[in-house]
Amino acid sequence: MSSENLSADVVIVGSGVAGSSIANELVRAGISVIVLEAGPRVDRQHFVENFRNLENKPSYQGPFPSVPWAPHPPDQQTPNEYLHTSGPDAEAYQQVYLRMIGGTTWHWAGCAWRYLPSDFELKSRYGQGRDWALKYDDLEPFYYQAEVMMGVCGPDPAVEDLGSPRRQPYPMDALPISYAAQQFRKLIDEKTPWRVVHEPQARNTRPYANRPTCEGHNNCMPICPIGAMYNGSYSVYDAEAAGATFIPNAVVYKIERDEANKLVTAVHYLDPDKGSHRVTGKYFVIAAHCIETAKLLLVSADDKSPTGVANSSDQVGRNMMDHTGVQVTFISGDKALWPGRGPLETNVIDNFRDGDWRNERGAYLVHMVDDNQVDLATQMAIAKGYVGRELEERIRYLAAHTVRLFSHNEALPDPNNRLTLNKTRKDALGIPHPDVYYKLPEYTVRSCEHTRKVFRELIGLMHGTDEQWTPGYFPQDHPSGSTIMGVDPKDSVVDGHCRTHNHENLFIASSSVFSTVGTGNITLTVAALALRVADTLKKELNHA
Amino acid sequence: MAENSSSLWMVSPNRMRLSRLLRMSRRDVLLGGMGTIAAGGLVSARASEPDAQAQAQAQLLSINDPLVKQFQDLSRRLTDRDTLNEWIGAALCTNIVQSGEKRKGQIQALHALLEGGQFASASDFARAAEKQDPAFKDLIHDIMAGWYRGVANGKVVVYRSALMFDITRDAVYPKTYAAGGPFYWTSKPPEVDPPKGRPALSSSKFVVEPT
Repeated sequence: MSSENLSADVVIVGSGVAGSSIANELVRAGISVIVLEAGPRVDRQHFVENFRNLENKPSYQGPFPSVPWAPHPPDQQTPNEYLHTSGPDAEAYQQVYLRMIGGTTWHWAGCAWRYLPSDFELKSRYGQGRDWALKYDDLEPFYYQAEVMMGVCGPDPAVEDLGSPRRQPYPMDALPISYAAQQFRKLIDEKTPWRVVHEPQARNTRPYANRPTCEGHNNCMPICPIGAMYNGSYSVYDAEAAGATFIPNAVVYKIERDEANKLVTAVHYLDPDKGSHRVTGKYFVIAAHCIETAKLLLVSADDKSPTGVANSSDQVGRNMMDHTGVQVTFISGDKALWPGRGPLETNVIDNFRDGDWRNERGAYLVHMVDDNQVDLATQMAIAKGYVGRELEERIRYLAAHTVRLFSHNEALPDPNNRLTLNKTRKDALGIPHPDVYYKLPEYTVRSCEHTRKVFRELIGLMHGTDEQWTPGYFPQDHPSGSTIMGVDPKDSVVDGHCRTHNHENLFIASSSVFSTVGTGNITLTVAALALRVADTLKKELNHA
Repeated sequence: MAENSSSLWMVSPNRMRLSRLLRMSRRDVLLGGMGTIAAGGLVSARASEPDAQAQAQAQLLSINDPLVKQFQDLSRRLTDRDTLNEWIGAALCTNIVQSGEKRKGQIQALHALLEGGQFASASDFARAAEKQDPAFKDLIHDIMAGWYRGVANGKVVVYRSALMFDITRDAVYPKTYAAGGPFYWTSKPPEVDPPKGRPALSSSKFVVEPT
């Protein structure tokens, strides 16, 4: 046991978008903060070099090796070396994420959607899933705060209303979409009843927050080479500049409570040499990603909380959700598109995000991915048997005409979709790996069937050939629900302020609190919830 | 600290790949090109990078090596190009030879076929090669992947200099190397007519990998 005295007003576990943005807000309000990060401190340029040296360029985890004391899934393969999935749709829940300073937004695409008001009221509006313990209007000011923090560009609602009412315009103008996306939008406008909208993105369309304008390197995932796209490391740097303490390689393994089991008194972490350290505080925030947050609460089980901390409801680890979707790649028979010029994801068909049919099937959104297809085209042309001049003309044609569509389809909270601790497999510190049982809800299956019909129609409109459907369902790495929010402590883990029902000074800032998962990428909502936690903590600590 | 936390996460993908080989990933199975994987070549992922680089450099075949000369002859014929960078050729040849014990002999045998005949094009030569020995197809795939993708033996030998980027540079940039200026992506890229050429080799199974 170390003799050091580690203590702060607020102790945060996890340094991703949620943890670092809370730290930044609190420290700037004069509140002391310690952030414990399981993984190492890292830098962008090494990841850029790793990417360039990566044979399998589409592997988002590839440039980010994990460390033995804080492993993360190395890839989306099932069986997996770390995240062990099982059940009828095990492969559909093979999520990837990162454990390192800055968190998983090292490899996000910057898609910064607000949820729709209806996403928070699925039960009362459509009789499905649950309602959140807050409304859209409760979160709206924090959505805007998150957009300013990240630097989000998006369309003027008067021109293109994305369905989430705004009190303020986006901090930056919408990103001009690529020629390929322009052609796609024209086709959708002319030949379908649907529409293509600008995707709101945490990406600079002008110099913003000491970061440059996007140069269109087409590499938002796995790593933006110039930092034009926000990631959690920027909030880490901001918080550190203001005096917050970040401790890397600090793997929290125990949440200590008082005799009454009402207040958290400390968290304990292991360093890579298995030295144990105790960190005390007045408030504690677990902001360690959906999967690691639930894992930590379960690992912390003891005599006082035999099923895990904050788990009197037995809902910790349950209700695992994602935007499990559908993906197809095909060759357009129309004019050249040359996808891959500009950022990766810039445009969306948003007609299926909401409707009365949500009483039967899940909502979804459609991305026409603007991904550089030169490498894929080359692999396909070589596999077809082309060589020489014929190979070169085939590569050009395929690179200019390969189209990829994918969807985010809405899941529902099902307590049987559950994260538990693996009984035999442990990391280098002896902490169990996570297991997840997953069966895709019928609600989502019906949604995916609808998506496949729409995709087939789009392929037809583009005179597509050589379609290749990704087998089964496609994990979107948006895990959520493992510490679900609700008003009733009997069937939920946190309340509408992300405070655990069981421990009044323990908060959770993660997609793990989502009651339903909507369709938009989850990060902006995670950030907004986190900033709301920071607001609550500021009020309580400043009044103390 | 038991491990040097400042360096472990910096292990390069080419080095990580060596430990990955033991796992026989889904992608490897799908691509079907890995065959039986021997564990004998495994190098600890924790070996230091400079040592590994020095070792790789020491093993690199010279541009004057007769095998490299043969490899370059084959490469020019199979790409229908008169000139190819000899340093890249030496690195690709080295890695292809290291990828399987039969490769060196196959390069020599394929070169003998080239020397012994008159071939008007890459396609003519590739057809003749597969007809003589179906196993030549995999070697030709390796040579094509080497020059066009910059990849050999599962490693990135060159990135920006891969020929796939040379033949598409009027339209797109290699990822992380964009140089078109702000919002270049809104402009109209070149049209591409449907190609008329036929494959020279029998096709191989290829499955688009999810990200």
